[in-house]
Amino acid sequence: MSSTTQVRESRGGRTKGPARQSRTKGSTASPLLSWRSMQRIKGASFTWPFVIGFAVFTLLPVVVGLAQSLYTSKTSGLGFGAATVSFAGFDNFARGLADPVFWESMLRVSIYAVVIVPVTQVVSLLLALLIDAVQRRVANKFRLILLVPYMIPGIVATMIWIYLYSPVVGPLTPVLNFFGLDVNFFSGSMIWVSIGNLNVWGSIGFNMLILYGALQAVPREIFDAARVDGASEVRIALSIKVPYVQASLVLTGLLSIIGTLQIFSEPTLFRSISPETITKDFTPSMVIFNQAFQVGNLNYAAAQSIILAAVVGIASVIIYRLTNKVES
Amino acid sequence: MSLKNTKRKALSISAAAAAIGLLAGCGSAPTPAAAPTAAGPVTIDVWGWDAESTPNVVAAFNASQDKITVNYVLQASLKATQTNFRNVMESEKDIPCYLPGIGPIATTLVNGWAQDITEYVEPIKDVYSKGAQAAAQVEGKFFGFPAGPSATFMMANKAVYDKYGLAVPKTWEEFVSTGKELKAHGVTVMNLAGEDPSTLLQMSQQAGASWFEIDGDKWKVNLQDDATLKAVNIIQQMVDQDLVSHQTYQDRPALYSYFDSGQLATVPLAWWSMAGYQTNFKASLGQWEAVDVPQFKDAKEFVSSGMADPGFVPVGCENPAAAVEYAHWVASSKEAIEAGRNKKTGAIGVPAHLADVSTYTEDVVPDKIFGAQPAAEVGKVIAKAQNAAVGKFERGPNYDAWFPEMQDQWGKVMAKQITLKEAMANVQTFITKDLDSKGIKYEVSK
Repeated sequence: MSSTTQVRESRGGRTKGPARQSRTKGSTASPLLSWRSMQRIKGASFTWPFVIGFAVFTLLPVVVGLAQSLYTSKTSGLGFGAATVSFAGFDNFARGLADPVFWESMLRVSIYAVVIVPVTQVVSLLLALLIDAVQRRVANKFRLILLVPYMIPGIVATMIWIYLYSPVVGPLTPVLNFFGLDVNFFSGSMIWVSIGNLNVWGSIGFNMLILYGALQAVPREIFDAARVDGASEVRIALSIKVPYVQASLVLTGLLSIIGTLQIFSEPTLFRSISPETITKDFTPSMVIFNQAFQVGNLNYAAAQSIILAAVVGIASVIIYRLTNKVES
Repeated sequence: MSLKNTKRKALSISAAAAAIGLLAGCGSAPTPAAAPTAAGPVTIDVWGWDAESTPNVVAAFNASQDKITVNYVLQASLKATQTNFRNVMESEKDIPCYLPGIGPIATTLVNGWAQDITEYVEPIKDVYSKGAQAAAQVEGKFFGFPAGPSATFMMANKAVYDKYGLAVPKTWEEFVSTGKELKAHGVTVMNLAGEDPSTLLQMSQQAGASWFEIDGDKWKVNLQDDATLKAVNIIQQMVDQDLVSHQTYQDRPALYSYFDSGQLATVPLAWWSMAGYQTNFKASLGQWEAVDVPQFKDAKEFVSSGMADPGFVPVGCENPAAAVEYAHWVASSKEAIEAGRNKKTGAIGVPAHLADVSTYTEDVVPDKIFGAQPAAEVGKVIAKAQNAAVGKFERGPNYDAWFPEMQDQWGKVMAKQITLKEAMANVQTFITKDLDSKGIKYEVSK
């Protein structure tokens, strides 16, 4: 008997008497839930590890942060006595909404995102298209190589690039000098470019992988039909492949925006390199970190965190809606 | 919170604390047994970010007695220690029993972190210098363990000075004029990193500035007094006339390369950074000479600068007596000095918490960096600086809030976007706003 027959018999068996009996009287099904509901619950159970992690590490901190943001802590006199914690309502939010330092940092990273996110998207898409165009064996090698920067933690990546950029000991300066280019990656005017390059380098691998996966799902017959009609590879890429991966582009775009608005480790390390440009309040995450761990005002930092989360959420919804409208 | 190699500093400070064992060996100091002990065997967590010497010191302490077991919790860096410690104090769980200094004691106390350990330190306090005691006290009570400052002296590249026929400057005013002459040869007189305003703090301290003072139930704040302005004036001249370099400590290979290149004439330093320079210098090894830190022209007596951040027992530690006994043993036993000896350089640390350190300073001098100058002579320069270090320089109740702001302002000054005088006014405004938001009473003194 073949395995196919066994499967068919097994499936068929579910509709017979004993199987039905087991659904109603057996130990695996609740008398209150239908078999279909039980199957749904079992299916959903595969998501529990994620749901638990999401609840503990995302939802719970948001709730705790929200609770903290409603209080304020003050001392008196010389400040040596115990601090008095009192309910402040939405005072911390009002302060955050009117805080010019916080919103300047938000504007700064927003402008940065306007430049860096499209660059990341274009480079990732180009790489995905190139890899999609070559043989699978070659593609696998490049895919892995391009994913390596994404696997390197942000702090480590920044340290590596600080060395590469170093005008004294880094390898890039002599190469550029050889071509007659006098570039100082640490100068105030170049610091944005230096951070941007590092960001693009770190994120193209992940974006490329998502886009490459989407490209692999495009039916190959369409390409053959286009080639028969005389379309060039560039035309196929622009007219067939790119429209097919538009949903994935929206996803990678959203993730890039969310990541860019929360940028922290790169400017934090670059702060020593160009302190006149990168201040302690350079990005919203740096403002929040400074409030929490330097100034010591955890209540206000919590309110700022929630405001930042709201801004990122609203920006994501707007961009998602706009791109969907364009798509439709 | 100077950025200059905090890791190496921690290592050296632990060695320094151990170095006092030499004094204990003379039999004049109380033995560790004189300290109060915890009832019964206890285990305490001690945090730190030194991965080299402190684990050995802790192991030696654990082996030396059976009443207290210290569990050393290694942190990644000073910054990580500050962040993680704030987290555990907020959560009120797994609070350690002892931390090396992570800031001035007044700020630590305002943050609600430091326990009053007067009853444990009082019986043993005479082992430590008056300055070390003062650094650990607030309003007459010990909230920290006595700690001495690492005083500033200077390292001058004698080959550079000789090449251009210049004398090493003895006053800050001469420092500026010498800087102008060196500039003509493409040499900078000193490095001022854009992210590190510690030179400003040290020079202000040396000039006799008092930025924070307790006056009854309020703080008196003044970052623009005459003494500070003397330091501000010297630094501003050096920046305006491009007499200084701005190599960052973040790109350390480039920094050492520049220092080693003969393009830099003088380096202000504390004893703990000498080994790092020796390890990383190549071309200039043997060309350096230890000299006194320049004085202000009208100084009445020789003064050096240096700040101490005392270790403390956090609120929530249930065994403060055990923590103090550990800290005292580390700072005052023979075994501790041996355990804390740097395995790579063989050096001990300067016991900065003593009134006179001249007996020990020769042992901390690396063998290659100073060429013709004997170690004993270098040791005398260090001892002179150490003995002349200004005692406590109060950094107020909110140092951890204002220091990052000062870094921002300092960076702008180094980039010539604002003047240092404007920067000081900005930092003072920041301080007063922060004190307002915290409910701390203050007065801006004239």
